[in-house]
Amino acid sequence: MIRYLSTKSLRALLTIIFVVTFAFAILRLSGDPALLIMSADAPPEAIEAFRRAWGLDQPIWEQYLRYFLNIFEGTLGRSMRDGRPALDLVLERVPQTLAITVPAFLVKLAIGIPAGIYAALHRNSFGDRALMVASVAGHAVPSFVLGLILVLIFAVRLNWLPSGGSDTWRHAILPVVTLGAAGAAVIARFTRSAMLEVLGQPYVRAAMAKGVPWHRVVWRHALPNAAIPTVTVIGFMVGTLIAGAVVVESVFSWPGVGRMLVVAVANRDLAIVQCILLLVAACMVTANFTVDLLYGWIDPRLRTSGGSNRST
Amino acid sequence: MKTSRRRTLAGIGAVAASSALPRFAIAQADDRPSITIAVQQNTNTNTLTPLREQSNVGARMIYSFLEPLIDAKHQADLSPQPGLATQWRRVDDKTLDLKVRSGVKFHNGDTMTVEDVLFSFGPEHMFGNPDPKKQSGTMFATQPGAAGKEAPPEVQAIARRLWPKLARVEIVDKETVRFVNGVPDVTLEGRIGRFGSEIVSRRALLEAPDWLTWARRPVGTGPYRIAEFKPDTHLVLEAFDDYWGGRPPAKQIKFTVVPEVSSRVNGLLSGQYDFACDIPPDQIAVIEKSPRHHVVGGTITNHRLICFDKNHPQLADARIRRAMALAIDRKLIVDTLWGGRTAIPRGLQWEYYGRMFLADWPQPAYDPDQAAKLVKEAGYKGEPIPFRVLNNYYTNQVPTAQILTEMWRAVGLNVRIQMKENWQQIFEKNEPRAVRDWSNSAPFGDPVSSIVNQHGPSGQQQQVGEWTNPEFNKLSDELESSTDMDRRRAVFRRMLQIAEVEDPAFTVLHQNVIFYGKRKTIDWKPSALQYMDFRARNFRAVST
Repeated sequence: MIRYLSTKSLRALLTIIFVVTFAFAILRLSGDPALLIMSADAPPEAIEAFRRAWGLDQPIWEQYLRYFLNIFEGTLGRSMRDGRPALDLVLERVPQTLAITVPAFLVKLAIGIPAGIYAALHRNSFGDRALMVASVAGHAVPSFVLGLILVLIFAVRLNWLPSGGSDTWRHAILPVVTLGAAGAAVIARFTRSAMLEVLGQPYVRAAMAKGVPWHRVVWRHALPNAAIPTVTVIGFMVGTLIAGAVVVESVFSWPGVGRMLVVAVANRDLAIVQCILLLVAACMVTANFTVDLLYGWIDPRLRTSGGSNRST
Repeated sequence: MKTSRRRTLAGIGAVAASSALPRFAIAQADDRPSITIAVQQNTNTNTLTPLREQSNVGARMIYSFLEPLIDAKHQADLSPQPGLATQWRRVDDKTLDLKVRSGVKFHNGDTMTVEDVLFSFGPEHMFGNPDPKKQSGTMFATQPGAAGKEAPPEVQAIARRLWPKLARVEIVDKETVRFVNGVPDVTLEGRIGRFGSEIVSRRALLEAPDWLTWARRPVGTGPYRIAEFKPDTHLVLEAFDDYWGGRPPAKQIKFTVVPEVSSRVNGLLSGQYDFACDIPPDQIAVIEKSPRHHVVGGTITNHRLICFDKNHPQLADARIRRAMALAIDRKLIVDTLWGGRTAIPRGLQWEYYGRMFLADWPQPAYDPDQAAKLVKEAGYKGEPIPFRVLNNYYTNQVPTAQILTEMWRAVGLNVRIQMKENWQQIFEKNEPRAVRDWSNSAPFGDPVSSIVNQHGPSGQQQQVGEWTNPEFNKLSDELESSTDMDRRRAVFRRMLQIAEVEDPAFTVLHQNVIFYGKRKTIDWKPSALQYMDFRARNFRAVST
């Protein structure tokens, strides 16, 4: 187990170093933060002063080294736009993002899993086809399109809900629905496929032949065995809780981590971008690791047969 | 005293009534609307001091809480009017005395004094310590944890650009301050009134724990004070009832950041926002379909330009640059992309230059035949001319570039659009530069604020090495320091002749415009300086 954990941790660390280095190179080579933050119309001497103050006039390898030292010291640098520690700024936004991504995640589970099970158990029925059409639509329609359609209907036409912002719980409804709809569609499709595969297995037929009640067959034999692919997808969704709402946050003017990331990339505010990427990478790695552990719990056979091979 | 049940009840009633009356009065007093304004962005630099936030997005909010000594008639011709100074008088070419308004309160309750004015133009607020060795660590230092009272170096650089030759500001008496410039300068009044010369509370800055904390909540004298500032999210201003200009007409103003234009428009139409800013021309019809909303706005003190790099092998010949200017049908661009809502300027100048405005200077000519002739005379053989374009940094930038390319093609010029992601790539020297987009503002009513500041020896175009002209540079110096108005007009005319005709540095395309969607029930007019003015003189909500 220790070896397993060590291998996973080392792999996660390498992933994070790669992500940070890649982001540093891309951001530094594609734009000058001084010009972007001070604007091209600022006096040249002001832009030069900004560059000097932030060490942007130093060789790129020196900037990279300094940034890495900051990470290992745990400071993660300061925002060039703001002057404050990047970690503080990002952590200020995390609760805002979680306020929509967590309820949206619950919506995905609450709708996606029952819909997938229902569709599988009523294969080729009208209900199955209707659910799958809705699922394909939910999956195919981009979130910014769905968001704008919902705003047009519920904010502009009906005037029931606010079109954007984050002042009250009512402001969260449309972003949550937008995020939840797409995720529920994905979960429903995965759950249906997994259930159909399991329902065709010999042990299900054997259970039915033994006279086990149908609901018990589904609940005790089919569902646990169909859970693994669904848990994999759900694990991936958990990993995106922190920064998986970039587009939705922009459409609904929700001041979360996603919008912060967009602004930081546009301004080449490296410390902020890196801080968010580190958080996202950490979330992903943690979610994957948790999913790996869950495999063993869901299917005891995997505990002894290299469960890590099933991870995403 | 004898008491009775009736008297006791009457007494209780009187007490109840007396306590209710003031509350009713307060309720009446607070019966002012709170308005919400959707903006694309509230600041670029996450601060609220104009000495760092020299942006249009900052200017529209900052005028509500910081004010200059000399204001402008924002809803008229932008001519000067008393602000925090009630009157001003020229002592000589270099010196200006201003009488400071009495009884003005800062948002922290302090009364504004001449010391505050002195401080606002002093080293702590503007110019910093001139000796770099004595400068303290700044909030924007690279070393984590470094924080200080001193303004960051870029603030000092901006202040020096706004006031390049300011020798000193001194107190004449309790109500009078004197600005003394190092050289003769007819633009002193303009500089005192421009964005970046606002008066701040001395005590507020000195008592702030560090510069950044102060810069996020500067204390001024405007009709509204800062209640809450969350960069990239919102700025909430609340009425400052001790405002010298009378009780502000709105209880609260919230500038809320809504990056997507469709979200701003939808929020406006749904009634969530009272104003939506930064409306592109193609959304005007959408808003005006609503019976409750309309679009206001107009030209601002900013012109769109095309800049030339005369180091490019083909553009080194001035005839090619002249041909490019002559080939542009500006009216077609204005009519098709802007719905005729803007105008073609008479060169790089604005009417609010007053006496310095050259009313007889013509709009740039459209003469494709002459352009084609110049191209032929220059011996141009179809070599590609790169046109570096950002993705709609300016409204309609990409369609304008596409139209221009076709107009240039029609006179025989092979101009090729190169899409760039940012300004660094626009200015990159690794590959030949030739043509790019720009816009120029005039922050005060004199050509020094535009043609000298942006195209003169210290201006961006010469600093990035695109263009220079020795005669133009000599004239720039003369325009800055001459006090003979007739001579200044002649100098300005010659500068326009050089930079727009003889040895083109740029050619103007059209005046820039900004549009605001708003509720029809609000009486409000925009300013050509892009300040949003919510003083009683310019804001009245019929119903909320």
